[in-house]
Amino acid sequence: MPVFASAPAHLRTPIRLPSSFTSRPELPNISATSSAPQRSSSRKCQLSYSSSSSAPSQNPEPLKLEALSPILKNLPKVIATSSAIVIVFNLGSHLFSCNGAGGGGGGGGNGFGGGGGGGGGDGGSFWRRFFAPAAMADESQNQEWDSHGLPANIVVQLNKLSGFKKYRVSDIFFLDRRRGVIVGPEDSFFEMVSLRPDGVYTKAQLQKELETLATCGMFEKVDMEGKTNPDGSIGVTISFTESTWQSADKFRCINVGLLPQTKPIEMDPDMTEKEKLEYFKNQEKDYKRRIDRARPCLLPMPVYNEVLQMLRDQGKVSARLLQRIRDRVQKWYHDEGYACAQVVNFGNLNTKEVVCEVVEGDITQLVIQFQDKLGNVVEGNTQIPVVKRELPRQLRPSYVFNIEAGKQALRNINSLALFSNIEVNPRPDEKVDGGIIVEIKLKELEQKTAEVSTEWSIVPGRGGYPTLASLQPGGTVTFEHRNIKGLNRSILGSVTTSNFVNPQDDLAFKLEYVHPYLDGVYNPRNRTLRVSCFNSRKLSPVFTGGPGVDEVPPIWVDRAGAKANITENFTRQSKFTYGLVMEEITTRDESSHICPNGQRVLPSGGVTVDGPPTTLSGTGIDRMAFLQANITRDNTKFVNGTIVGQRNVFQVDQGLGVGSNFPFFNRHQLTLTRFFQLKEVEEGAGKPPPPVLVLHGHYGGCVGDLPSYDAFTLGGPYSVRGYNMGEIGAARNILELAAELRIPVRGTHVYAFAEHGNDLGSSKDVKGNPTEVYRRMGKGSSYGCGVKLGLVRAEYAVDHNSGTGALFFRFGERF
Amino acid sequence: MASQVIREWSGINTFAPATQTKLFELLGKLKIENVNTLTILVMGKGGVGKSSTVNSLIGERAVSISPFQSEGTRPVMVSRSRAGFTLNVIDTPGLIEGGYINDMALNNIKSFLLNKTIDVLLYVDRLDSYRVDNLDREVVKAITDSLGKAIWNRALVVLTHAQLSPPDGLPYDEFFSKRSEALIRALRLGAGLKKHDMQIEGDARLPQLYDAPSEAMLTPWGLFPSSQTEIHYFVIFYLILSQGSAIPVVLVENSGRCNKNENEEKILPTGTPWISHLVQIITEVALNGSKSIVVDKKLIEGPNPNDRGKILIPIFLAFQYFFAIKPIEWAIRGDIAQESRPSWETRDTSMVSRRF
Repeated sequence: MPVFASAPAHLRTPIRLPSSFTSRPELPNISATSSAPQRSSSRKCQLSYSSSSSAPSQNPEPLKLEALSPILKNLPKVIATSSAIVIVFNLGSHLFSCNGAGGGGGGGGNGFGGGGGGGGGDGGSFWRRFFAPAAMADESQNQEWDSHGLPANIVVQLNKLSGFKKYRVSDIFFLDRRRGVIVGPEDSFFEMVSLRPDGVYTKAQLQKELETLATCGMFEKVDMEGKTNPDGSIGVTISFTESTWQSADKFRCINVGLLPQTKPIEMDPDMTEKEKLEYFKNQEKDYKRRIDRARPCLLPMPVYNEVLQMLRDQGKVSARLLQRIRDRVQKWYHDEGYACAQVVNFGNLNTKEVVCEVVEGDITQLVIQFQDKLGNVVEGNTQIPVVKRELPRQLRPSYVFNIEAGKQALRNINSLALFSNIEVNPRPDEKVDGGIIVEIKLKELEQKTAEVSTEWSIVPGRGGYPTLASLQPGGTVTFEHRNIKGLNRSILGSVTTSNFVNPQDDLAFKLEYVHPYLDGVYNPRNRTLRVSCFNSRKLSPVFTGGPGVDEVPPIWVDRAGAKANITENFTRQSKFTYGLVMEEITTRDESSHICPNGQRVLPSGGVTVDGPPTTLSGTGIDRMAFLQANITRDNTKFVNGTIVGQRNVFQVDQGLGVGSNFPFFNRHQLTLTRFFQLKEVEEGAGKPPPPVLVLHGHYGGCVGDLPSYDAFTLGGPYSVRGYNMGEIGAARNILELAAELRIPVRGTHVYAFAEHGNDLGSSKDVKGNPTEVYRRMGKGSSYGCGVKLGLVRAEYAVDHNSGTGALFFRFGERF
Repeated sequence: MASQVIREWSGINTFAPATQTKLFELLGKLKIENVNTLTILVMGKGGVGKSSTVNSLIGERAVSISPFQSEGTRPVMVSRSRAGFTLNVIDTPGLIEGGYINDMALNNIKSFLLNKTIDVLLYVDRLDSYRVDNLDREVVKAITDSLGKAIWNRALVVLTHAQLSPPDGLPYDEFFSKRSEALIRALRLGAGLKKHDMQIEGDARLPQLYDAPSEAMLTPWGLFPSSQTEIHYFVIFYLILSQGSAIPVVLVENSGRCNKNENEEKILPTGTPWISHLVQIITEVALNGSKSIVVDKKLIEGPNPNDRGKILIPIFLAFQYFFAIKPIEWAIRGDIAQESRPSWETRDTSMVSRRF
């Protein structure tokens, strides 16, 4: 096929650059694994690539995907999903059907009729030439070759070569006849030749090469001649004259994506001049209509201007220029993620206006299908709207397919945690030319899972030696029923104990029911209902000694209860949660006995149990019901791996007066954290992150009944660093202030911080005044510095109350 | 605690006749003022002689003393009546246990005192301990926290082991003066009594009181016996509180080897018969016009911080809803509006209308 029409100058000749999408751009498999999410900041993804195994069998020739390589390069770095699933991204593997016989039609010039048929059939189209130049050479490499058997240093025409010999081509020269120079490999035409130096070719191969060059439309005239070398090889010189058209000062880009191809009327060679004229006129009219019907491109003004500048600079429109324009336009598309966009043709040449025809890749259909483990299409359990609501609008029909939208879809669907494998696969629509069908293939996870993990622990027996009886079987039993009714509802239960024989010692359980799409799956409002039963056991930081106080007997706070809450997600990070909590709180001493009062070690070594009351009721067991609301505003984002933005959290617990001693209270806390970017930096992978100043403030207060386990404590890695949990005090109202300066250093950062915590004089308003009983100051500052080593923070913090410093290793982030 | 049974105050008979006369006189005075019951609370650190003082006051071994170990943690009330007058003395366990305030003892005392009326508090300490430290302050603070500041209007400081020879040859008066001064200062600090409330500073001039005894001394209560010579050596130390009352300091010697005067009355080194003096001061304090302390739940527990502002909680909640939750919600909406979207998301919205 064709073919640049070296048509008469008076014809407006659309040249058809056949858009055969021969290459199968097999994008890499991307498997993303991540560690369990800790804090949102410390998420890490590992990417590995492997090409799909099906590629070689379908395309025996190694492909050189120059045009698509930008996508290949930037695809992997974007997808960062959080579960260990494999995501395959396929681009269409079929030819766009605008190829073929029809392809040549647009030109309609006298000069190319014969070439048209030949080109169309073999698929050796314009693009093919670009993508697969090394094909033939590779096939014949490492083969025996024959000497040319001619005297050295003579010039031989191609047709003088022997048809039976295999010639070794030592050099290839490209001679631009118009300019009279030999062009180097940097020239854009050079890549069109599939011959490679040191390749071994037969005469037929060389002839075919010449033929394809001649028919590609870029050249008015191409010749090939050999020059014999003394060693029996030949040097090939390809001399050519580039096609040129009259200069243009306008440029237009149109999307011909879903336009039906115009079938050219066969031109009868016996046509009279008049008929011919009529024919061309018709064709001209057709083309005009075609342009009018075509939709405008996405191509933005700056690129238009750039192209116009190119046209202006060049003067005459040459094949090289068109090639450059094509490259520029395609580069923009591919940089923007429109992976299916192709420049298919330049039309209207020899007029003032160059028309660039682009198939942008309009989505005609969105198909969601489920696969079983073997890859067979099955009817899925998941309801389609659940998947659909996760898809960006840009994947719906009538939008242009964008690979970023595809990735977004992948991430969103993956965050549902319902599928083990997700593929978003754009494929050409066979029915509509230039259309793309977006296929989303999903493999569902097992709906019901149960898991038992066991562990044996050896506890010291009598005399300190472990005995057989001191082997304790422990472990966790988990069951999960996911995706109930296909609406992503789930029930999850787990029981953990360190001793199955005596599970009453420490039995942790959790039972949770999650009901997403509370407002209906079609409603864009995203509210999720969670109902759970839980228990927990924590060491109370209220009963902790201040500096110099040896050992305060610990108090364990056991909570067991149920809660129901509704979470409304505004954005990925910002949300509003409100619900009801009912719980029973039991306070216990070291030996698990219920204790209504804190203990104190006397200097004499004795222990008294007359410390501050642990519960509101004074019995050691409290029951209460309260409303809880939490609103989180988080607009932080990562700039080169460093978090920047702000996070505000307000939480309020409102007692209802239901429970032991009718607890009625309002416990509220406000946290404000801001991450100031101190320097503008260029964003991009591998670029250094900016230095960041973190300012943090936390106010907590309570009005009404305040049992000690709900008192706010000061000190600890998430309160005032450099102190132990609760070492500064436990109070009714607290204020914490912190500042941290982070300076990036070699892929990580060092930081310096200063923090202060203050009870605002409200320690005495906690019953029993635990702050004073355990000799704490009620306020304290600290400062220090540290370095982040992967997930671990190593920091040296000086506690201002005692003036001593210590080195700490902590996991996760403070803010 | 079990000794709620009111017995006849027979111990009064064991006193020397002169003392008895004095006591009856004072009791009569009380009866005139319509005071038929007098409840005395005795508090102090451990081992200072609280129980002994109680026994000396009653005139019999009403409560057991435990000189070498910490006593039980239960308070004891001894009630004696004589001629229609009832005297209740509440002996309490020492408030200090191993260098700390014994909260359990304090709690026991509090619950024991519940619904009782205290007319007089005897804060007992030793004269012969030379130092006043934090612990004293803690004890005073504990008492104040439990019974309120007003208790000090009805308190007197009792210094036991009065029969001593001061170290370094200090004159007895001076030693006593210094000791009580220091103690009063600790008391003032511990009780959180404000300085500007004091009309007379802690360093009240003891010598002046000696020198100009009669008028000044008599006016506040005006019921001293005529024997001014006796008063002369009475050592009364004032701390004027905001209400204008004072905390008198009284010396006590419980030891059996206590010197006696010619009337067989136990006397201090200053020559004062101390039992009658003590009762006299008690009487004066009881009649000093301030109110007796009625111990109720509220008093014991102090102002409950858990109750403060409880009524305002609905207002707080409304405030939080409108001034915390709502603004954050608006800010989130602002974030959503301002969110920088990738270019592909914004680009071809205008072309959705096209059809195939």
